[in-house]
Amino acid sequence: MERRRSPYRERSAMMRNRKRYFRILVRIVLGLVFIYASIHKIRDPVAFAGAVAAYNILPYGLNFLVAAILPWVELISGLLLVIGYRVKAAASIVIAMNLFFIVALSSTIVRGLDIDCGCFKQGGGKTPAWEVIIRDVIFLVTAIFLVLNKQKPGKRLS
Amino acid sequence: MTNIMKDMKKLLLEMTVIIFVASLIGIILNHKMLLKVCSGRFDLSKITSPGVQRMEKIPMPVGLLQAKELFERKEAVFVDARDASFFSRGHLKGAVLMPLGESELNLARFMVKVPSSATLVIYCNGYDCRDSMTLGAKLMEKGYRKVYVYEGGYPEWRDAGLPIEREAP
Repeated sequence: MERRRSPYRERSAMMRNRKRYFRILVRIVLGLVFIYASIHKIRDPVAFAGAVAAYNILPYGLNFLVAAILPWVELISGLLLVIGYRVKAAASIVIAMNLFFIVALSSTIVRGLDIDCGCFKQGGGKTPAWEVIIRDVIFLVTAIFLVLNKQKPGKRLS
Repeated sequence: MTNIMKDMKKLLLEMTVIIFVASLIGIILNHKMLLKVCSGRFDLSKITSPGVQRMEKIPMPVGLLQAKELFERKEAVFVDARDASFFSRGHLKGAVLMPLGESELNLARFMVKVPSSATLVIYCNGYDCRDSMTLGAKLMEKGYRKVYVYEGGYPEWRDAGLPIEREAP
């Protein structure tokens, strides 16, 4: 005899599925954003070093080291988020990076520096620092959501 | 508790591995650029990418102590980016008047008097004033390489009791 599932159970299963799909969507979108951001920097590391140097935070040589490494951290974290492997670690790195970006951008506002953030295409139009901070806060919240809503064992979707 | 610690350790280990791999790839692929930077053979003037151009055309902000040091060592030309009325009411001792609004007219005269190798310190009315940064960028475009912006400006300098001049009324 077939057992009937209660409407409450069906609804909660549906909600769980929706949440799972939402998490997948968020994870992939965040991953793609970071992959896109890294590609321009990888193609022109010297230009990115210039953008980092414009912040006037690091000594001369370190700007180039950051320009050599940071885009690859972004790319690998982005790829891991898209494929759904080691999501918590990749999202935690995204959190750390965004916290650093927010502090650096806030410092440019305090110091009155009118510079391009160097976030995506190098040498493109200047975006006001507070707009970039809002964007980074959105990425930060998204990454925190991914870390806190970890996948349950056995669920393969996310 | 031990489970949380275990999870944290695992997470940190995974993060370290990701950052290590990324660093390794980044350093290997950009080793030529990094070696040039380390050996001081990185000639920025030969690179035309917009990022570097931008890096070169942004004046470096300096604080009161650095500005005072440059003033005492007589190593820099101080440039006042404010209007003439502000300048006559008080300015840093020995400063040159170059209001941002009239800078185009005054630039040619200034360039004849001051060589492009000179160190310039530009100031205006303190932290809220952006004219010094704009004028600094303009002077860098004209070929001055050592351009600093003293962000505290005239109010901070005067309040610190450092040498100022006033024009007779």
